[in-house]
Amino acid sequence: MAAASLAGSSLPLPVSERPRTARVSAFSRARAASPMTWRVVSIGSPRARSGRCVAAAAGGGGGLAPAMRETLDKVVTSNKVVLFMKGTKDFPQCGFSHTVVQILRSLDVPFETLDVLANEALRQGLKEYSSWPTFPQLYIDGEFFGGCDITVEAYKSGELQETLEKAMCS
Amino acid sequence: MMASRGTGAVLSRAARMRQKLQSALEANVLDIEDVSYQHAGHAAVKDNANETHFNIRVISSKFEGQSLVKRHRMVYDLLNDELNSGLHAISIVAKTPKESGS
Repeated sequence: MAAASLAGSSLPLPVSERPRTARVSAFSRARAASPMTWRVVSIGSPRARSGRCVAAAAGGGGGLAPAMRETLDKVVTSNKVVLFMKGTKDFPQCGFSHTVVQILRSLDVPFETLDVLANEALRQGLKEYSSWPTFPQLYIDGEFFGGCDITVEAYKSGELQETLEKAMCS
Repeated sequence: MMASRGTGAVLSRAARMRQKLQSALEANVLDIEDVSYQHAGHAAVKDNANETHFNIRVISSKFEGQSLVKRHRMVYDLLNDELNSGLHAISIVAKTPKESGS
């Protein structure tokens, strides 16, 4: 399991939640079926950590450390569906992360999330690893699938469902 | 606040983004909408609350044959400096002229 193999690595990654089957409530289904709305303003959860959600302070790259790359290789394949997000499944700290969680829940797929706000090294490493400067980042079957926009678009077109089905059967 | 004086002075982020995207992508359509106000209560947006979130719609033949991920990466790459200087998030719609039916 990912958590076990990572525990001994030089870069402990907080697995924010154990993999588990996403619960689907009638509520999330209804919400996901309705046109996506960008509810970002209302995200302020009591656990919001002010100042943590700041934009990339990363300088001009500098190359991804091999140890980091190896670790990330393991993480993205630790589960069929891995979402790197701001906050946790139950307390997303960003509207875009929230949207992707809602979509995955509505599709009833098990997925693991990692909170990039809890680990700055992970956050910076991922930007380079994925060649993608923002979060959330969705990985399916070890492959970078996209950020929020792409996930929403693929969800609407049915491509996301297809990709997930393939991944689950592989 | 810095006052803009004449040409070549201080461009807004939106204007810089427009320049960079337009010249590199030779876009047929380039809409840049500042939606920072929607994120005013966001933890990221404190003192420098201006121009942090944008919606961008680009129609460019340079996207021909490119996956969505690649198209978005092209846009992100062009805006790298902005992302490193306070641009927090952009929502991207990237289409080819054919896809947009224009």
